[in-house]
Parts: sequence; structure tokens; C-alpha cells
Amino acid sequence: MSFPSSFALVGNPNCGKSTLFNRLTGLTQKTSNLPGTTVEAMHGEIKVGQKTIHLLDLPGIYSLYTKSEDEGLVVKHLIRKDENKPEAIIFVMDASNLRRNLLLFSQVAELQIPCACVLTMTDTAVRRGIDIDLLALQAALGVPCIVFNPRKEKNIGCVVSLFSATAKPNIIGAPTQLPQRLQEYQQGAKIQGLSEETLRRYISIEEVIKKCTTKRPVGLKSLTLKIDRLTTHKWGGYFIFAAIMMVLFQGVFSLAKLPMDLIEMAFQTISSTIKSLLPDGLVSNFIVQGLIGGMEGVVVFVPQIFILFFLIGLLEDSGYMVRASFITDRIMRKLGLNGRSIIPLVGGFACAIPSIMATRSIKSKRERLATMIVVPLMSCSARLPVYVLLVSVAIPFAQFWGPFHAQTFVITSAYMAGIVVAVILAFIFRLFQGKQSSSEFILELPAYQIPRIQTVLHQAWLKCLSFLSEAGKVIIVISMILWFLSNFGPSEAMKRAETEAHILSQLDPSHGEDIKTTLRLEASYAGHLGKWIEPAIEPLGYDWKTGIALITSFAAREVFVGTMATLFQSSEDNTQGIIEKMQAVKNPKTGKPLYGLPYALSLIVFYAFALQCMSTMAVMKRETGSWTWPIALFLIYGIIAYIGAYMVYHIAN
Amino acid sequence: MEATADLLKEGQKATIAGLKDGDFSQKLAEMGCVPGTEIVRLYQSSGGNTIAFRIDTYLLGLRKEEANQIEVTILELDPA
Repeated sequence: MSFPSSFALVGNPNCGKSTLFNRLTGLTQKTSNLPGTTVEAMHGEIKVGQKTIHLLDLPGIYSLYTKSEDEGLVVKHLIRKDENKPEAIIFVMDASNLRRNLLLFSQVAELQIPCACVLTMTDTAVRRGIDIDLLALQAALGVPCIVFNPRKEKNIGCVVSLFSATAKPNIIGAPTQLPQRLQEYQQGAKIQGLSEETLRRYISIEEVIKKCTTKRPVGLKSLTLKIDRLTTHKWGGYFIFAAIMMVLFQGVFSLAKLPMDLIEMAFQTISSTIKSLLPDGLVSNFIVQGLIGGMEGVVVFVPQIFILFFLIGLLEDSGYMVRASFITDRIMRKLGLNGRSIIPLVGGFACAIPSIMATRSIKSKRERLATMIVVPLMSCSARLPVYVLLVSVAIPFAQFWGPFHAQTFVITSAYMAGIVVAVILAFIFRLFQGKQSSSEFILELPAYQIPRIQTVLHQAWLKCLSFLSEAGKVIIVISMILWFLSNFGPSEAMKRAETEAHILSQLDPSHGEDIKTTLRLEASYAGHLGKWIEPAIEPLGYDWKTGIALITSFAAREVFVGTMATLFQSSEDNTQGIIEKMQAVKNPKTGKPLYGLPYALSLIVFYAFALQCMSTMAVMKRETGSWTWPIALFLIYGIIAYIGAYMVYHIAN
Repeated sequence: MEATADLLKEGQKATIAGLKDGDFSQKLAEMGCVPGTEIVRLYQSSGGNTIAFRIDTYLLGLRKEEANQIEVTILELDPA
């Protein structure tokens, strides 16, 4: 048997393409960054006999004439000229929407790449009263066609058998020099008579449809329409959306707690094992605090990010998120965003990195940029530990403000503050941009379906990987630098600290270790750095230790907690230890607790607004193509954070 | 009777007669809004900013001004 060794899966959105891909490849697929581009495609492999076939899953598209980031990738792959061009195409065709699917087929056919066709959703087609004559279709298209419903049918063998049967497709209607036109279109040229071309295609397609389908009249009442009555109801729709979001976040926080605790325990076990194996000293200290501490800071967020993206994925896959876009478009538009922005915005509460990548589906460049700008204001999972530490230090757990649990109230307000500022900023951005006509909504509302757990799990995992690889690098490197800065210092200052510590620890032997580490830290480079920025942050109520934590958490917000732990050297490695030590510190001038309520509120406000995430900035640079926006936003959010924190500190005082 | 799709009443059935020449015509055509296709107006979001239509066999969400680009011939004057 001889057949092509690389295939691309091409088809409309929601046609069952990815399910087919997953069925074919099992779990062997991996995403990869293509050289020169930033957009991802799914790669997978399948063994047929002795031969390994390379499969490429491309985003679903309606037409090859597209300029958006995610869809343009399909065209790039199909018209590329190097050895990575797929040798053949498996065209996945939704039988229940034959006309529209044939439009894409007629375009793909002109590329004259060998092709075979998998007809999916035939059960839906039958329910809608459409019967398809497979032989007639095969004759019209000129390529082998099979019926396969990837979600239901078990035997994938018939799809595999297509690999050896591809053929050059018939051109439907008159040829249009499509490859050349596509190239020009991709380069930004305005193509004459594009809608006429599309209409002519449809006229030819109509003939194909007449030849190979018969239509029976059927009723139109469907379950999807009944559900839509509720989810798009003029006020009930918003209520359902709010309720779903609340359940979502409650779910994330309660489900993520156990795995997060387990991860912390696992890391503590690893640390203590290494401590006991290695001789005490710099090396062991470096591995335990610098390296492992850094890794823990990354991995501990995976449960939250994974669970939130998994739940959002379920909503997306079921078809609900499209309805959420449908009902929120009105508000989003007033802010210069798009209904489609809702998915990245909700994702922003988990992690900004994959969410900024998810903005690719927004067609208008301006709306996409506006969405990217406000995504980092959604309080991501890395801010939560900072909030939690601060409220625990400043507010007793049992305290109530009126009917509200004080700690919960503060944290909820921090989330709300991010949303409010996002709304204001989006609005201002819109004023600056003026009115542009490129905005469009045109969005298919697919029938509701039971979410495919395996696919959703896999996609959530891919998002975690993007967090792990983007944030991981930065956080681990910064942790190591921080370790160095806090363990070394100008030799003179360090020597003085040692002597002083020696004397003091003899006076108070029970706290000898603590005194020593505090003094050493103050003398270290990190201590100098903190003291250096102290004047700038004093108006916000922060001391030099907070200053160090602020600097280090510019790598990633959650590093704040780890840094405070290092700075306060709680001999037992737990958060309770840090909280107690922080509570004990008094302001030398006023005698009141230094880390009191004004301090905590001020710092929470700072963290809610500041763009303290190098990884987010890096991803934003990649997606916008320049450092202009990341740096501008860093400054703008920095200023907002500073002013906000200043105001809150002084009001609270 | 001639009209545009945004003017259809809820549940009213029509046939697409053509697309106005504009920013959305290509995209609408690709999504299957081509002359001769059956179109039914379904539900709308609050304020009527976005409207759902059934085009041939599937549901399509459009903004009001996008729907305004679709010229239709109304088949049933009074939706049941």
C-alpha cells in the first residue's frame, strides 16, 4: 500500500473535526509553535501498518478567505510550499449543513491537493429531514466519501482506510485562480468581486445538492431552541449567566483546595528529604529554597488554573459560551469590546497567559487589542494567595462588617475593583480609538451538546502547559536570583551583621536563629534593594521588606508570599508562621501594628491593578508584535495601582 | 413582500433575496446567507442588539445592523 505520509484535517467549526482527530490519534497529539508564527496547530501521529502518518488538526473555518489569527493558520498551511505542506487532506463535512460545508470544500478543491471526505452529523441531518446519496456525492466531488459520526461510532478503521484512497477533487463550478487570490488576500490586498465569487460558488453547489440530497419536511421545535429561550431571555439570561459564573468560582475554590494542599505537602516532603540527605550549607540551601521553592510557586497554581479552564471548557463545548457572547455583546460593544471577549475575560480569572492567546478568535484587531488590554485586570489565581495572606494578617477571621464576613468582603471587593477599572479603561481606550467599522459579530449558535470530557480535559491541560512553560521559566529564574540576592551582600555589611547577630543571640538564645537571619537579610543585596525603594513606597504604607517582595513579585504576583516567607524566616515552613510573625511587627513611629488594615488594603489594591507579571507581558508582546503595549500597560497600571493604593491607605488610616 | 432580515417578526419565515453591498456581505455569504435560502427570525438578546436566525438548517447570531444587510422576501405575513 502506498499513500501520503502527512494529512491535514480541514472543515467547518463544530463539524466534529477535533473529535475525529482525537479518535485517530488517541492522546498522542502535541501542540507546537510553528517557526515564524505564534499560532498553534495540533499535531498527532498514527501508525498504519508499518508506516507512521503525520496528522495536523487545523482550526475550523468557514472560508479560506480569512485574516484572523487563528483561521489564517489554515490557509498558511495549505498554500505553503516547503516540505511541511500536508500531502493530503481529510475533509470533514457536517452533513446537516451541507451547503455551507460545500463552500469550503469548493475552495479547498481548487488547491488540487489529494483529498478524501468524512461525512459527519448524518444523524442530525436525518432528523432535519435531509437524506444524502453518498454515491452521488462521491461522483460530484470526485473524492471517496464515507459516513462516520466520530462521537458515536466505534470502529475508526473505515476512516483509516481512507488514507490510502485519496484523490484529486473535482473543481465545482468554474476555477477562479484561487491559490493566487488567496496569497494576495493574505498579504492584505483587496480582492475584487469576492462576494460575487462566493455567490457563484453557491450556484454551483446548489446543483451538487440537488443531485445528491432529498429533503423531507420535518417540524422545527428543537431542544436547543427551548434551552435558548431561557439562556437568552432578556433578563433571565443575565441571571443565568451570573449564577453559572458564581457556581464556577465556588467550584474552583472548593475543588482546588485539596490538590493544592497535596502539592504543598509533596514539596515539603521533597525539601526535607533533600535537607536530610545533603550536608547543611549553601548548596542544600540553594536547592531547597531557591530551586524547589521556585518550582512549588509555579506548580501550586496548576489545580486552580486547570479546574477553572476545565469548567469553562465544559461551558464552551456544550455551546453555552456562544450564548453568553450573544447576550453580552450589547454591553461589550459599548466598551469597545465584542461578545466574543467574554471567553478570554472569564479565563482571565484563572490565568492571563492562555486568555490573551484566546483573544485570537476576535476578528477585529481593535477589539482584540482592547480585550487583551483589560484581561490582566481580572484577578487571576496568582493574586488570590496574596490577598489571602494579607487579609489573614490584618483582619481576624471572625470579624464581621455589618452582615459581611470581613475577609471575604475585602477579597470580593478586590475582584470587583479589577472589573470596574477594566470597564473604565476599555471605555477610555474606545474614546481614543474613535469609531471603526471593522467590528462584526456574525456567530453560529451551535446546537447544545453533552460536553466531550476527554477533549475538554485535554484542552484544559494544554492551557496549564502554556502557563507552566511561560510562567515557569520566569518564576524559577527569579526565585534563584532572589535567593542569591538575599543570601549574599556587600562583604562589609554582611560581616557587621554576623558580629551583631552573634552578640544579640547570646543575649536572647531562644531567638538566636531568627535574629541572625533577619540581620543577615537586612545586610544582603536584597535588603539594600528594599531600603533603596523604601522612600518611594512609604507613602503607601510599605516598609523595606514589602519593598523587596514588591520587586521580586514583578516576576509573578504569587512570589510575594514566598518572599515574605523568606524574609520572615518562619522556622516552621507554614503560612500560619508568617502570619503570626507579621502580626507581631510594630510600627516604630506609632507603636501600632505595621502590617495592619490600612497596609493590607493598600497592598491588595496595588496587586489588583499592577501588571506584575513578566509572563503576561511576554505573551502580550508576542501577540501584538511589539513591546509598545506591554510597556505602556505596565506604566499605566503601575500608576493606577500606586494612586489607588495611596488613596486607600490614607482613607483607611 | 420585500424587507430586510432585522425587520422580520419573531417566528416569521422569509427567503433571502440578496445581500446589500457592504462590509459584511462576504462574511454573510460564507456563512450561508445566499439568495434562495430560507431564513426565520428566532429570539433576540435584551434590547435587540443581537438577533438569532435560523438560516437553512442552522442557527446564526447576528447584530441588528448585520441583519439589516440581508434583503428578504417575506413568505408568511402573519407568523403563527
